Amino acid sequence: MDENVLLNMILYALPVYLLAFLLYVVRAVKGPTIPDMVLAVDALSYDLAAFLAILAVVFKIPILIPVAIVLALWIYALDIYVAKYLESKEMGE
Amino acid sequence: MEANALDQALMVVGTVMIVWGAVSDLIGALGMLRFPNFFVRLHAATVGTIWGAFVPLIGVSLFAAGYEGLGFYRWFMAGGALVTAFLLLLLAPVGSHALARAAYRSRAAEVKPKVVDFLEEFVKKVMGGENDRA
Amino acid sequence: MIEPKLISYLFMAVAGALSLIATYLAVIEKDLVKAVIYSAIQSTAYTILFYLLMAPDIALVYIPVAVGLYPAVVFFLIKKTERFEESG
Repeated sequence: MDENVLLNMILYALPVYLLAFLLYVVRAVKGPTIPDMVLAVDALSYDLAAFLAILAVVFKIPILIPVAIVLALWIYALDIYVAKYLESKEMGE
Repeated sequence: MEANALDQALMVVGTVMIVWGAVSDLIGALGMLRFPNFFVRLHAATVGTIWGAFVPLIGVSLFAAGYEGLGFYRWFMAGGALVTAFLLLLLAPVGSHALARAAYRSRAAEVKPKVVDFLEEFVKKVMGGENDRA
Repeated sequence: MIEPKLISYLFMAVAGALSLIATYLAVIEKDLVKAVIYSAIQSTAYTILFYLLMAPDIALVYIPVAVGLYPAVVFFLIKKTERFEESG
């Protein structure tokens, strides 16, 4: 199969990602409790990391790849902050 | 330009994984929107992170490894996507579990479709019905 | 063959609108923990914008500051004061 056909298929998959991101954002904005919102932001960011890696291949620019690694690593920190805040009501120490 | 058979196979498998990841990402987002409360939404988050982010990242890795048009840097892109995929495979469940534990212990979210809760009974029996869940 | 630039512009428009909505919600929210999470949504949208404007170096610096350090500092601050802002 020609590589342009495969790239075209990937390009048609990208708006599906956009739709999924919008649904995650709806849940993140209106989520009734704090853990709901954090979970939605979490899933949104992990999927965004995958999406950014796909875009780097589509645009053929290699230097765009490390952004995905950094995003996947740091959004985990937000999880831990909120979990620690909710659980022990004590930060730091 | 005609790529060789191995590169073509890698690219086809990578494309299939990326498209499958897009579909399951949409399924996870729909579940996240429609499910009733936090502990049920954790299931949708699993679908959205593992099937919706880990699988497309492996697909990107395979696609970049077989894509001649990227030149020499295709190995850099394949390695970067692979590292991201395995970091995500480790970090996403840990984050979800930490969040679920915090939500349970701080009573931030209600355990709604509940048949039996052995942890709560244990806490009530051993710790004498303290207000905090252990 | 759809144009990659078209998808890029579509995502830029959506991310810009999203960051505006998230910033507005973060300003009017009374619960400060929720305001921090809205601010995290805003920084995610800005990450998309920086990335699609082909500034990955700025995105690499912006993500640790806006997603990692800023919520940590603000959570520490909320811990020292009250969680709910008084209305009025």
